[in-house]
Amino acid sequence: MNPLEVEQYWTSLRSLVSERAKVMQRSAFAAVVREAGDLAYAVFDAQGRMVAQAETGTPGHVNCLEACGKYLIKKFAGNIREGDILITNDPWLGAGHYFDITILAPVFRNGKIIAYLGSTNHHADIGGLGMSSVAIDVHQEGLSIPPMKLVEAGKPNEVLYDIIRANVRVPDVVVGDLAAQISSAVSGGVAINEMCDRHGLEDIEELSSDIIRRSEDAMRAAIRACPAGSWTSRCEFELTAEKSIHLDLRLTIDNVNGEVELDFTGSSEQLNIGVNVVENYARAYATFAVRSCLSPDLPNNSGSLRPIKFFAPPGSVINCIYPAPVASRHVVGMYVPMPILDALYNAVPDRVLANGPGCPSTAVVSGRDGDGKPYNIFFTVAGGMGARSSKPGMNATNYPTGVRSTPIEMLEREAPIVFTRKELRHGSGGSGRQLGGDGQVVEFRVRGDRPWLLSAQCTALHNPPRGLDGGEPGELSRFSINGIPANPQFQQQMSSTDLVRVETAGGAGLGMAVPAK
Amino acid sequence: MGNISLAVDIGGTFTDVVLIDGDSSFVEKTLTTPHDLLEGFFRGVDGVLSKAGIEPADVSDRIVHATTTVTNALIERRGAKSAMIFTDGFADILRIRREDRFDIYDTQIEAPAPIIDQTFTVDERVFADGTVGKAPESAEIEALAAALVDHGIQSVGVCFLHSYINPDNEREVAERLRALLPDLQVSISSEVSPQIREYVRASTTAVNAYAVPVTKPYLDGLERRLADQGFAPRPLMVLSSGGLVAVETAARFPVRMIESGPAAGALATAFFAKSLGASEVLGFDMGGTTAKVCLIQNYEPLVAAEFEVDRAYQLKEGSGFPVNVPTVDLIEIGAGGGSIADVNDMGLLKVGPRSAGASPGPACYAKGGTNATVTDAAVHLGLLDPNNFLGGEMRLDAEAASNALASVGDKLGMGSYAVARGVYDIVCEAMAGAVRTHAAERGVDYRGVPLLAFGGSGPVYACQVAELLHSSRVIYPPLASVFSAFGAIVTPVRFDLAQSALMRLGQMDWSLVDELLDHIESESRKALAIAGVRDTDVELKFSADMRYYGQHYEVPVTFPERPSPSTSLRDLFEEELQKRHSVLQTQLDVEVVNWRIAASGPTSKGPAFAHAGDPLGSEKRRKVHAWGGHEVKVVPRRSLSEGMRLKGPLLIEERETTLVISPGWTVQAGPLGCVVAEREE
Repeated sequence: MNPLEVEQYWTSLRSLVSERAKVMQRSAFAAVVREAGDLAYAVFDAQGRMVAQAETGTPGHVNCLEACGKYLIKKFAGNIREGDILITNDPWLGAGHYFDITILAPVFRNGKIIAYLGSTNHHADIGGLGMSSVAIDVHQEGLSIPPMKLVEAGKPNEVLYDIIRANVRVPDVVVGDLAAQISSAVSGGVAINEMCDRHGLEDIEELSSDIIRRSEDAMRAAIRACPAGSWTSRCEFELTAEKSIHLDLRLTIDNVNGEVELDFTGSSEQLNIGVNVVENYARAYATFAVRSCLSPDLPNNSGSLRPIKFFAPPGSVINCIYPAPVASRHVVGMYVPMPILDALYNAVPDRVLANGPGCPSTAVVSGRDGDGKPYNIFFTVAGGMGARSSKPGMNATNYPTGVRSTPIEMLEREAPIVFTRKELRHGSGGSGRQLGGDGQVVEFRVRGDRPWLLSAQCTALHNPPRGLDGGEPGELSRFSINGIPANPQFQQQMSSTDLVRVETAGGAGLGMAVPAK
Repeated sequence: MGNISLAVDIGGTFTDVVLIDGDSSFVEKTLTTPHDLLEGFFRGVDGVLSKAGIEPADVSDRIVHATTTVTNALIERRGAKSAMIFTDGFADILRIRREDRFDIYDTQIEAPAPIIDQTFTVDERVFADGTVGKAPESAEIEALAAALVDHGIQSVGVCFLHSYINPDNEREVAERLRALLPDLQVSISSEVSPQIREYVRASTTAVNAYAVPVTKPYLDGLERRLADQGFAPRPLMVLSSGGLVAVETAARFPVRMIESGPAAGALATAFFAKSLGASEVLGFDMGGTTAKVCLIQNYEPLVAAEFEVDRAYQLKEGSGFPVNVPTVDLIEIGAGGGSIADVNDMGLLKVGPRSAGASPGPACYAKGGTNATVTDAAVHLGLLDPNNFLGGEMRLDAEAASNALASVGDKLGMGSYAVARGVYDIVCEAMAGAVRTHAAERGVDYRGVPLLAFGGSGPVYACQVAELLHSSRVIYPPLASVFSAFGAIVTPVRFDLAQSALMRLGQMDWSLVDELLDHIESESRKALAIAGVRDTDVELKFSADMRYYGQHYEVPVTFPERPSPSTSLRDLFEEELQKRHSVLQTQLDVEVVNWRIAASGPTSKGPAFAHAGDPLGSEKRRKVHAWGGHEVKVVPRRSLSEGMRLKGPLLIEERETTLVISPGWTVQAGPLGCVVAEREE
């Protein structure tokens, strides 16, 4: 296969993967999937190497699927028949909490497995305590699905379906989203066979090996282009009013071998609240941060990921051990890029950004409306993004997640919530040579005279996003009820007259501010 | 004197004019005059009239115009001083956007500056159920009017929360402002685009408000000058949807004219689809920097509900302004004749999206470009004749093309012909891949659908793209160089309207639906009436955007008649889902988000085209390296006469392009002056 043929088939494979992922995303019910693309869709070769991945999704899922797919292919080796669908939501194998269900289907050609297609999707519910961090162990967080077959030789595993239906609050929606995952995997398999027909290929092994080798070589070349060195950084942030934690990092660029080593020794230990991060998920955010600074244009696959070495001590908050609770792992996981960016500033100052508030602030508002019908809505509010070396941070923009906000008019349609304000929080971005992006001010209440429940979560209420190279930190977030500062809580009782105000943190500035003349 | 019609399409580079007089057609191509677009307009019109030997007063049927005016105003930011008026507490809707990053890997992305940065707010509120929480107070509107004067504002957009369901507060503010400030242009979101989702509606309204003060004088000037010169018909404008309306309507909603020219191209594609009896066609237009594909379904161009204007950051999806007005659904691919081929970080040959543009252009233009481009590859392969480009007006430097490709080959350890062939294959694969992705998303089965190829480069690649799409038929229409202008002339008057009213099928409020449909129906009938369509000739098509309750993406569903309680909404919705390979969720309720109406007038007849049938001179052959290194027969298109059949490999040359007929394909000079290529099984 010459480089011209490789590029031609590779173009075809990539368009196939992104096409199937888009169809799946559009039909999804879970808010984070449809608005944030909180999903991953990828093709693996017969050896279990991830070769191509859809260009959608949030960083957290992107690389978790690689590890999970590889695991499933190895575990079921020799035991996979045409029409099988594998499944698991084990947090340690997949994307770090039960909500994320991974599906994998073999692709057969002339009686032989030539590839696997899989996806990891965030589901609307998985039983247990729901989306919260109040569990003290993982089993309180819902249904566990160990690696097994959801469909065997075309026949659905009815026992497993019944168990899933009986354990989630919205069985129709969960089963519906599973069906969409299965359908995208199966139809993707048909498309891969068509591609092989079109180009006269027996399988995709040669293509896959070539792409993976080229991706790895290019990634190593990108690292070799950086100055060698070893730098440390620390990111501190709070989880509750009382509890702050830190991530300690030593980042080493080995520009002889072309490798980046990320050593998180010294980071806080795992906690007895559901914010612990499994190794897969922490590695996903870590490799995302490195790749976005060094080689944003390379494909994400086993090859481009290989030169990035990740280590976090077992038992730490970013490599937690079973049965640690993990449901809200994104709250900590989204901070993983921050120390990496700070350390990379020493090597590639033009490509990093200063810190922002990590995870967006979130709220779940629930209750019963005037007619007694239940409602439950979830929304996110972005803070400001950190400054870049040659331009300011973007206002009201999430980083590292790519989550899109739900329109106010849609939220107000789905529940009796009324927003009274949603504007930029002017001046909240840290000052510096380049300014951090501004956060937002959001105020809301609920119409009618019934009480309601609020589960709010705000980041950077106590530890501001730290400035880079002399830049000032962003303003702290603020949270208040009826004008009185309060602590966001899980399922807080609210009365019909309460007004909630969330002010999200600004992004940090970069560089010393130039004094005004 | 028969029915004489005239169409003018002002594009970025050329202004194209077509005149149809009964069965004859005349064309004129002149350079666009950016400082005053109407200068080029009338120069082109004068040219075509003298070719046809007629006077302005002889133009009896219609004058149709597609223009890039609005797009230019937006991109160059030369609109008037404008402001937006929002609900109190929501002044930053356009600055906050959607909070996401359109490219999650790129740390350096930038949001575009809002098209209108000056904002004011009014203390008012409509709730999601349409009830008014607070009506605007006149004292505040008066103060607002004074502030607008202080700031020298000429045009405002008003976008209040939930105005799509209850426009009273917006209308109140608009009426009072118009009364207080008669010269102020006011665009209200409940008229521009009454659809749920505040950011997109505000963005659409802002684009409209910004463009009104530029568009209105342009259209007034057009109308006046036409009348002064003695043209009787009033001009009609082509909308992005492929609709055609009177200038009054276009002047109120310039946001609907942004894709005027490309829409006209899609209309021309639809015209040939209909004339040739092909209900589905892929229109394939390839120019210097991009390729565009439009899907014709059921003889009509597919129309998308949302479109993005002025992508500011590396032309990336998400970096522009969304506008939710109906727009002909075009797949745009960053691959054109000027796209640069080079070796990327992975050691693979990459084609585009970087483009050498028109200047310096491909290496073979010999204007200083040294990068190998798609056109260089075509010249090197022998597909394009360097001595006969643009009918020989521009001589191409084949050696420069060869050198540029050889230097790319050095990086890959391959020869220049292999590289050139690789560029050809990769470009075709990229286009086929984009079509597959796009078609799958829209539930269109592209397999076996004929291609209609036009533009400077479309015909060069069409056969191979067709093969990759399992298609065995390519149509090369006549008038390809003024294709859009031609499309404008043969299309019926049409106007589309949409209105949000979220409703679950389990709880339909048919009296409200009737009220909404009555409203948008009468609005569209009005628009057609001013464009001169008799009410009895109006044809209505109804559709809706629907989804499962709980989903956030809608699919368009068309209805056989005006929807009523007896319409099987759910079945029609699920049929559409099946077409799109989406999973049916029979356990869930279905929800309607928007109702839509397309109102159209009668179709006008196209001219009869014929092949020129000029005598074929001495047989010409050229060495072509695309399929080995054979001598391939070359014929001028003008030498074809109807019914003639020729076998590929073959090159058919026209002034602006070359039809590349691959081995295994046979061409026939078909009806309507079309050349039709078919692949033998």
